[in-house]
Amino acid sequence: MLSRVAERVYWMARYLERAEKTARLINVHTALLMDLPGRMEINWFTLVRLFNAESLFRQHYDWATEANIMQFLIADPKNPSSLATSLANARENVRTSLDVLPEEIWEQANQIYLLMNESLPGIADRHKRQLFLREVMKHCQCIRGALDSHMSRDHSFDFMQIGKHLERADMSSRILEMTSLLLSEERSEMLRKYDGILWTNLLQALSARQMYLQHVHSRVEGQRVMLFLLTDEVFPGSVGYSLGAMARRMRYLPEPQLPIEVAQRVHEHLSTQDLSALPAERVHTLMDHLQGELGELHTAIATTWFYPDRSGQQQTQGLS
Amino acid sequence: MKQEWNQYDPGSFYDELIAAVHQPREASYKLVEYLRHLTPDRFRQCVQESEAVIREMGITFTVYSDAGNIDRAWPFDIIPRIIPAKEWDCTEMGLKQRIRALNMFIQDIYNGGQILKDGVMPADVVMQSKGYREACIGMTPPHGVWANICGSDLVRHSDGVLYVLEDNLRVPSGVAYMLENRNITKRVLPEIFNTLPIRPVSDYPAHLYEMLASLRPDLEDPTIALMTPGVYNSAYFEHAFLAQQAGLVLLEGADLTVCKDGYVYMKTIKGLERVDVIYRRIDDDFIDPEVFREDSMLGVPGIMRAWKEGKVAIANAPGCGVADDKVIYAYVPDMIRYYLGEEPTLPNVPTYVCRREEDRAYVLEHLAELVVKPANESGGYGMLVGPHSTPEKVEEFRALILENPNNYIAQPTLSLSVTPTSCETQVDVNDRRRASDPRNTIKIAPRHVDLRPFILSGKDIFVTPGGLTRVALVEGSLVVNSSQGGGSKDTWIVGDAAPEMSEEGEEA
Repeated sequence: MLSRVAERVYWMARYLERAEKTARLINVHTALLMDLPGRMEINWFTLVRLFNAESLFRQHYDWATEANIMQFLIADPKNPSSLATSLANARENVRTSLDVLPEEIWEQANQIYLLMNESLPGIADRHKRQLFLREVMKHCQCIRGALDSHMSRDHSFDFMQIGKHLERADMSSRILEMTSLLLSEERSEMLRKYDGILWTNLLQALSARQMYLQHVHSRVEGQRVMLFLLTDEVFPGSVGYSLGAMARRMRYLPEPQLPIEVAQRVHEHLSTQDLSALPAERVHTLMDHLQGELGELHTAIATTWFYPDRSGQQQTQGLS
Repeated sequence: MKQEWNQYDPGSFYDELIAAVHQPREASYKLVEYLRHLTPDRFRQCVQESEAVIREMGITFTVYSDAGNIDRAWPFDIIPRIIPAKEWDCTEMGLKQRIRALNMFIQDIYNGGQILKDGVMPADVVMQSKGYREACIGMTPPHGVWANICGSDLVRHSDGVLYVLEDNLRVPSGVAYMLENRNITKRVLPEIFNTLPIRPVSDYPAHLYEMLASLRPDLEDPTIALMTPGVYNSAYFEHAFLAQQAGLVLLEGADLTVCKDGYVYMKTIKGLERVDVIYRRIDDDFIDPEVFREDSMLGVPGIMRAWKEGKVAIANAPGCGVADDKVIYAYVPDMIRYYLGEEPTLPNVPTYVCRREEDRAYVLEHLAELVVKPANESGGYGMLVGPHSTPEKVEEFRALILENPNNYIAQPTLSLSVTPTSCETQVDVNDRRRASDPRNTIKIAPRHVDLRPFILSGKDIFVTPGGLTRVALVEGSLVVNSSQGGGSKDTWIVGDAAPEMSEEGEEA
């Protein structure tokens, strides 16, 4: 397959995953705030921090109100990680890879894009916003389902899986980092009382609650949640699972040594950490590091498969 | 919708569906009856559904404007245009005859030019054609075919005859819309398909693939690519659609490279892979910066060498645009007689060639009644439409013709046929009460149409049953271009179809 097409389907999968995770995260966070008493360290701005977008937000908005933050995270085209940006980029990458994708993918990507354009003006309204975010999740799942059932397990499929898992690992590490930060900062006694709720919330944001309860057989408790989300080998939302899945997929691709090595190194690094001994306060350092490593993994993938004429100049990243 | 249909009056124009007021033509009788019995509400639902389908299927075309490029929804009218199978079979023969002669002409031009030596047409007419490429001299593409994909524009005059208006031989577009129009109609008016033998169009991508593969008869399983100028091209939707439907690799010039062995390769994750056939959707001016425009960023340096050595097949062949010229068009009937020894089945629009003194005198005398076209423009640019022009404009063209007669032809102003088209009547948008009354929002009115069938030539020749019908949505307008208020319709060839050609069998 063409390197350029490989790059596009990889980014398509990343943007789809990002869109779905962003939608879910916002909905879960909204539900969390309804559980917490007002005036807490945790608020709407937490979400902006999670995307490392504080300074961008401050450039464009005066007040960290719910309406402004939702506008910024969902609708703002100036925010490169906004939901609208992710969906638009996902659609654009579908549009330019039609020849390798099942037909209905384009229709689906287009439908959600149209729905988004209709819905964005109304997102200040919490009810409408939640409905819209649900639709986004549903469409992303539909697309994934159609890809899963109609696509040959060819290289296009491999690149999508790799993109999806890389993005998933990245989003998970960000959400974990944020939660650990919340718990490590000088927290009020008040917030400590909500430990359980916070961790449950985290599990929900990663669609992991049921599987955690079934497989860990324990009440929701920080250290165990962390362990589950980072190292569980059978839950497809854990970082460890994603790293393993990526390495497996890469074996099908030509000359995969470099990216596989990087993926295995990251995986090993993660599994040799004694997470049960790691204070929650230190987790964010680990996550920071993990995000850096995932960045390296992306570079290894890109240099191996997307830019085969390495003498050539750096190309743009997908279509954005 | 009985009232709307009863009031329908095509006036003095030839109507594609209606013979006279209250009297549908034989082939369209069932369709008109079906539509007559729809309630205005149901009809409006169908229109809305078609619009929703178009939006969701992302069927768009790009409009270039100062404010940037905008993707617009494809304008579609749900009332199909019908051509009786008997008439079509004859038209199809005429199109095949025409493309055979055109391909023989191009082959001749680049290989000795016997037709010029025999004095059938003057040599400088050919040399002045914008599509003439010296680099192609001596070349014989596979099967001697240069124009592998041709889109000929047909118009029907008030005499009821279909005339060929022009042959688009460079990179004709529109076939994706022909296919999508049928898909939309199937979704919106599914019942009608059981009652009429409508020839299917859905196998075009398969024929396209076959034709392209036939350009490398030496290879069992050639790698075939569609080369697009990129996502910002106005026809990108069609490029992606055709690649998807026919199973071609969609790529851009930057994905290709010509290696030392002289073959063309694409850059894949496995390294370089050979490409054997290229369906190019970029003008040949841009295809190879080594040979043509040096500033082209879209092309592939060295690809012309590979083509001339037979190491890659290119469709349409570079240089085939020589015959896509308004002056050369005037000589196509002569070509048919010269190369095939046959009389043309399909007539040209009568054409005055201004380089001929007699013709020129006539043209200058009758400028206000004629349509004047420059040789090398397309898309309706640089034209004079006498009856719709100001005296100043007419004088301007008089000067242009006198200055450079070789560059102009003139044709009588045709009165293009019309066909029933659904139109929204002007309703004051602020007047909700009226707008919600369906009787005020939809009417059926005559609108002018043309037709673009597509002809594939490789080892064999294939003609699409029907083609893309374009319709001028503005009352009285003759401009069918989608960028200028034109729309399109599904086109049905109805009747006398062999049973195995029924659409149902096709879809099973």
